[in-house]
Amino acid sequence: MSDEPASLEGWAPGPVDPSALTEIVERAFDYRGDVTLTLDDGRRIEGYLFNRDRDVVEPFVQVFLRGEPDPSTIPYARIHEIRFTGKDTAAGNSYAAWRERRQAAKAAPDG
Amino acid sequence: MSVPISQMWTVASYVLGQRLRGRKRYPLVLMLEPLFRCNLACAGCGKIQYPAHVLRKHLTVEQCLAAVEECGAPMVSIPGGEPLMYPEIGRLVRELVARRKYIYLCTNAILLKQRLQEGVFTPSKYLSFSVHMDGLREEHDEAVCREGVYDQAVAGIREALARGFRVTTNSTLFDGVNPVRMQMFFDEMMDLGVEGMMLSPGYSYSKAPDQEHFLRRQKTNEIFGKMLSSPKRRWKFNQSPLFLQFLMGKWDFECTPWGMPAYNIFGWQRPCYLLQEGYTASFKDLMETTRWERYGHRSGNEKCKDCMVHCGYEATAVDTTFASWKGLTAAARATLTGQL
Repeated sequence: MSDEPASLEGWAPGPVDPSALTEIVERAFDYRGDVTLTLDDGRRIEGYLFNRDRDVVEPFVQVFLRGEPDPSTIPYARIHEIRFTGKDTAAGNSYAAWRERRQAAKAAPDG
Repeated sequence: MSVPISQMWTVASYVLGQRLRGRKRYPLVLMLEPLFRCNLACAGCGKIQYPAHVLRKHLTVEQCLAAVEECGAPMVSIPGGEPLMYPEIGRLVRELVARRKYIYLCTNAILLKQRLQEGVFTPSKYLSFSVHMDGLREEHDEAVCREGVYDQAVAGIREALARGFRVTTNSTLFDGVNPVRMQMFFDEMMDLGVEGMMLSPGYSYSKAPDQEHFLRRQKTNEIFGKMLSSPKRRWKFNQSPLFLQFLMGKWDFECTPWGMPAYNIFGWQRPCYLLQEGYTASFKDLMETTRWERYGHRSGNEKCKDCMVHCGYEATAVDTTFASWKGLTAAARATLTGQL
């Protein structure tokens, strides 16, 4: 995975080699944006991957699909590709930006 | 210390009951997060960074109550997200009071005055608003990244106190905190009339916007030592005195990650309120399948190395109080004398 960008947003590592699947699922689990999964039947689903368990007989991920009230459980074996398609909501340093704005406002003549 | 006697008795009898039954691991406080949505985006918070469709979700009251029953802890803390944005917060609180659970409703208090005027809540010894206050006006507004929030919170506190509610504060301390200013803050909160204050160092959430200002262990000991070495008699803290002494470097505790388990829309969070390493469908699974030896200060886990946060160590402090004469006498001395 040497071609992994600094931010995972937009990352599309391509069809998943079974040996790399576990690691890409871990990245998706840690990612605070939606991902798109392509399944073994060609179907594409997009949602927030919030859980995974690889220590069970049939490892699985759990995803909140957009517009669905309940989570879906998908076995690792059915995942063909994972793309990091949603906005990374944890990216960017909003705190630094806020401090800069605040200090600028304070430095202004009427601040 | 300012915890009411009835609450102290409930907690003491619960802890002693667990110990008499020989339970090595038991929960003390359920951290119930009905939603992640919030009306602030604080610099040190790593709880709210989710896609919009996830932020729109929330637990049902029935899911919350099932979690409370399953967990069995005598106290329920309701953080989030901002719980006053939860559409069924009134019904949830009423159901918890009916079950005699001591509730800490953790709020930034922006909506507190409005919700009280709407009649959403009724005063009860089981309900305490735990208002997020990270210091005096300047420090607090900086911590929550919005001007004016301190004044809104103070207005909410005044309204709640005037209506006969229990009100406590919770403060998260970061690097750069001024101990003298914090002492002034303690005076200000006591002047306001809050029942007690809760303190904790912040945790370095990997998803929090501000990664530079979390306290390391030695710094935590220095700051809390300066702040609390000669506490005024009028300062009341709504937490275990042994936990505060731990923050001052007077105890060497190990983490109790199962002491304050967290439940939210994803399930039971493994291993603790701060780390997100997965979720289980049941509390039983959380307790039985989590590799607890991987967590805590002595585990060597890098994520736990500097953590001294209340959700891991307050339960240790409470357990220590009832586990030895040393703990019991230290807690009693601090409670009676006000000295830490």
